[in-house]
Amino acid sequence: MSAIIEIKSITKEFKVLNRREGLAGSLKDLFSRNYKIVRAVDNISMSIEQGEIVGYLGPNGAGKSTTIKMMTGVLEPTSGEILVAGRIPYQNRTENAQEIGVVFGQRSQLWWALPLIESFRILKDIYQITDADYEGMMKLYRSLVDIEPLLHKPVRQMSLGQRTLSDILAAFLHNPKIVFLDEPTIGLDVSMKAKIRTLIHALNKEKNTTVILTTHDMGDVDALCRRIVIIDKGKMLYDNDIEHLKGFFGSYRTLKIRIDGNLKEQAADIQKELPDCTVSADEEWISVLVDEEKAKVIDVLGALQKTHRIRDMQLEEISTEAVIKKIYEEGVQ
Amino acid sequence: MKKRNIRFYLRIYRKILAQDLKSKMSYRADFIISTVGMIFTNISGFIGFWILFRNFPSINGWSYYEMLFLYGFSLVSLTPVQCLFDNNWSLRQNVYTGDFIKYCFRPINLFFYYQSEVFDIKGLGQLAFGIGTLAYAWGKIGLAFTPLMLLKMIVFLLTASLIMIAMQNAAAAACFWIQNSFYILDLAVRFKDYAKYPITIFGPVFRFIFISSFRWRLSRTIRAL
Repeated sequence: MSAIIEIKSITKEFKVLNRREGLAGSLKDLFSRNYKIVRAVDNISMSIEQGEIVGYLGPNGAGKSTTIKMMTGVLEPTSGEILVAGRIPYQNRTENAQEIGVVFGQRSQLWWALPLIESFRILKDIYQITDADYEGMMKLYRSLVDIEPLLHKPVRQMSLGQRTLSDILAAFLHNPKIVFLDEPTIGLDVSMKAKIRTLIHALNKEKNTTVILTTHDMGDVDALCRRIVIIDKGKMLYDNDIEHLKGFFGSYRTLKIRIDGNLKEQAADIQKELPDCTVSADEEWISVLVDEEKAKVIDVLGALQKTHRIRDMQLEEISTEAVIKKIYEEGVQ
Repeated sequence: MKKRNIRFYLRIYRKILAQDLKSKMSYRADFIISTVGMIFTNISGFIGFWILFRNFPSINGWSYYEMLFLYGFSLVSLTPVQCLFDNNWSLRQNVYTGDFIKYCFRPINLFFYYQSEVFDIKGLGQLAFGIGTLAYAWGKIGLAFTPLMLLKMIVFLLTASLIMIAMQNAAAAACFWIQNSFYILDLAVRFKDYAKYPITIFGPVFRFIFISSFRWRLSRTIRAL
């Protein structure tokens, strides 16, 4: 099977003026030719198959949006090759747009004053969807979500959750090969998040649509993605299955204990006692992150029991969130 | 996949327009107030004009009806830019907040998609007022009403409209470079107010500016088409 998205060492550079400080500096800047080159995306390669759900992660300002903009044909890479469904996106913006769907969690792309059904009808014309395909899609939507109450409501009157749901439905309407979802669950309540994850999962299954998901919510990643790609400062840090990710960092587990006294101070003491572990504290628990290749959890617990009176304890597998946090903070090496 | 030709775009525009009008009328108070406002704007513009000519029988050799003729002409030629390109006023905000990117994701012409979103219905009142003024002045001047004359009038109105459209689009596009481009757009609107009067009543410097900038804009429009 050939890849639907093929990216070969793309780089995107922006020319930025080196700014000076203060008002006098700003005045000098007006005539300055002192530019620096900022690499928003630095030599990234990846290949994505039809039907994959890829979690595209990275801290704020890592270059995620820039990559997405290049894949959607809005930006042209400074160097490198990019092919989406066999086309160069920035040279064929409209043809490329026919094959993709895009959802930005914070910006609706629907007509603000129109009821959803009217937006759908205009999209049907814009994307030249046949009646049969349109009806098929609506039937699928009806089977997946309770769409009736949404259809006749103007978008401006919808809640954020309903609007996001509508935006996702609109993005899949023309049965695109790829859908880009940028933080689809941002600002939503727990039940709406679950609803949206189920919907994305079902549409991916049903239509074999490739989904590129950027998010800061690890719940989205755990629920949807088998493969994740992490970038930071424009460079690729990780591209593999989510299971590998945990092994990649050794076998970590979190030992949580509850003891009397000021937890913050005690945590600092425990950190001194256990230099191999990472100790932190919140209101209720002291968390000890144990690398099982260096020390056994049971030994750590034994050591702690000698010095402290432990009132309660929990053992947690490391969460995706913790691993990602570690990568953001320390990098892969 | 059918090719997206002019008929495709006209059909899409008609559909979006129908929806837009429907939704505009759902804001009833807004619709009524802005209609009344539009009528008053036209009337007050006309009253200013009328008072001027009550005091001076002619300006630089131009009679009242000749001036009225040009006034009506400018109102009609301004209608397309007012009705079809009103979304230019929001372009600055859309670019500044980053919302503009959403227009890049549809498989249709970006400029068309952006401008199709808003149709300013108030411009139609201006059109009616302009046609009325033009017809009235036409009769009073004693201009012959022949098919050739009518054809000339239509060609002149179309080209005048194109110049107005080009001017406003160029001014609106300044927001891609300039942070507060509102003043440029505002300037363009003031500029077109001068079109209501014959050019010979302005001084030579103004005349030079008008003619050279129109020439530049017209050539840009033709090249863009």
